Amino acid sequence: MSKVPVIAAVGVTPIASEHRGSNLRDLMAEAVLDCLADAGMDDLSAVEQGLTSYESDHFNLQMTLGAILHDTIGMIPKPNLRVEGGGATGALALRAAWAHIQSGLCDSILVYGCEKNGRGVSSRTANQLFALSADVDWEMMVGGNYTGFYAAMIRAHMEAYGTREEQFAHVAARNRRNAGFNPIAQKPMDISIDDVMNSRPVAEPYKLFDCSLLSDGAACVLLSTEEWAREHCPAFDKRAPVYFTATGCGSDTMRLGDRYPELTNFRAKRTAAAQAYAMANISDPMREIDVAELYDSYSGVEIQAVEDLGFVERGQGGPSVADGIFDLDGALPVNTSGGLLGRGAPVGATGILQAIEVVQQLWGAVDPRRQVAKARRALTDTHAGIASISVVNIFERRD
Amino acid sequence: MTEKVRSKIDIRVPESAPAGDAWAQFRGVERIAMELTQSYKYSLGKYSRFFMELENGRFLATRCHGCGKVYAPPRPLCPNCLAVTDWVELSGEGVVKTYSVLRFSPGSNDDVRALETPYVLAYVLLDGADTLFPHLLKAAPDQAHSGLRVRVAYSDEPVHHPIHLMYFVPVADSERQQP
Repeated sequence: MSKVPVIAAVGVTPIASEHRGSNLRDLMAEAVLDCLADAGMDDLSAVEQGLTSYESDHFNLQMTLGAILHDTIGMIPKPNLRVEGGGATGALALRAAWAHIQSGLCDSILVYGCEKNGRGVSSRTANQLFALSADVDWEMMVGGNYTGFYAAMIRAHMEAYGTREEQFAHVAARNRRNAGFNPIAQKPMDISIDDVMNSRPVAEPYKLFDCSLLSDGAACVLLSTEEWAREHCPAFDKRAPVYFTATGCGSDTMRLGDRYPELTNFRAKRTAAAQAYAMANISDPMREIDVAELYDSYSGVEIQAVEDLGFVERGQGGPSVADGIFDLDGALPVNTSGGLLGRGAPVGATGILQAIEVVQQLWGAVDPRRQVAKARRALTDTHAGIASISVVNIFERRD
Repeated sequence: MTEKVRSKIDIRVPESAPAGDAWAQFRGVERIAMELTQSYKYSLGKYSRFFMELENGRFLATRCHGCGKVYAPPRPLCPNCLAVTDWVELSGEGVVKTYSVLRFSPGSNDDVRALETPYVLAYVLLDGADTLFPHLLKAAPDQAHSGLRVRVAYSDEPVHHPIHLMYFVPVADSERQQP
């Protein structure tokens, strides 16, 4: 039997700036109950292993959260692994789960992730904690922060390729508009390119609406062999089978300055994409991928990503985005969920939420206003820092 | 009435739950303030000499004798060759390759909290180095641009983190060497 994992079922909570009524354990439980309902299963007794995805002991004010969540959702005494990789955490967790299934270590594994990055902490605390994920001695202590690092990168991109602020404002407006068709999205907005251009500067050239959201939320995916899903998951045969066919991962220096002379783009993303494309036998990603969720931590990052993922040539990201080819009615719709800009980004859940969006697209199960017709193959792009770790995962419908 | 819970922020109990709410008995929510204060005896390790020499107004980098690459910020170990590097002194002059203008401070420590916003974070290729050094450029935001010649200036004021013993300033026209 094939060991290529299938997505047996998925579960989410709404994504919000603050889930006041639910702490992390509650959120994780809510997403797992949603997953059980999606699977048509009564409990998790047949599931062999659990993989916990969260980034920050500090935001969550709890170390060894994996053990607590594993207990909360009734997975004791089964094996548990916690995966962490900054912003890429959720996608790395899925990649680790892929290897669990492929290796034969188990036939079923629940990948569950969550984070409370929202208003439960003051913005001062949030800024300090996120700055800790930069190089503390050489970047954080000189007043550096991620908005600044990304701003320096897109400035270099603008100087090298003529990329314009209106082009990444297009991303900011489009992804927030897409979020309006996603019931779990945190902040759908119907805004214009001018609204983005006129929003308050945060770190020029990035303005408020170019920046993604701080979020509370949880998500989970039940991965298994096809055989296991047919035996244990009543919902599996009721929809098209979707396989997690390929995964790639790359890395790069933590500090932007160490990447000199390349300041405009993400090498780790190219490395991850090359591996994933080789594994999935993809030679022309723009033609062979039907829908994608890209890591739009800042609006301009999507422009850099479409170049590094090989959708368009280097330097063509800005014009191609502005032409609308990545819009809902374009040749390759991206961030149909609203992305990190509109749906939101509870870090440990983000990569899982991206996978869930594309899997539901392949199932044909999302709101018709954002459904991509006849989607067969999908990609997720997730990274940590300024792509110090990058993960590309590929999902395919085969029926 | 005296508050029995000193850290209590608020309590919210909804008057009624929606019909069929599985969590109906769990909708009342209390929030409390929590704090985590941490302090460290933080070693600067094998990078220490860089910081010690800043006190003397000298800017050091490291050089790999294997591949010849010059690292600023310094690396005690060359990641290309896995060879232990040598300290070398640079002039402290260089050129801005990219930068950003920050409108808010991450408040990383007291030095950073004292910064007035907006401030400029510049990535500088120091003469003789192969990597870019990120630091504050003390100049008006509209004065910053890629290609700007800058030099290291040394602080006379006491600082909290020794990285703040230095910062970048534009090289004044009068300081430029005549061709």
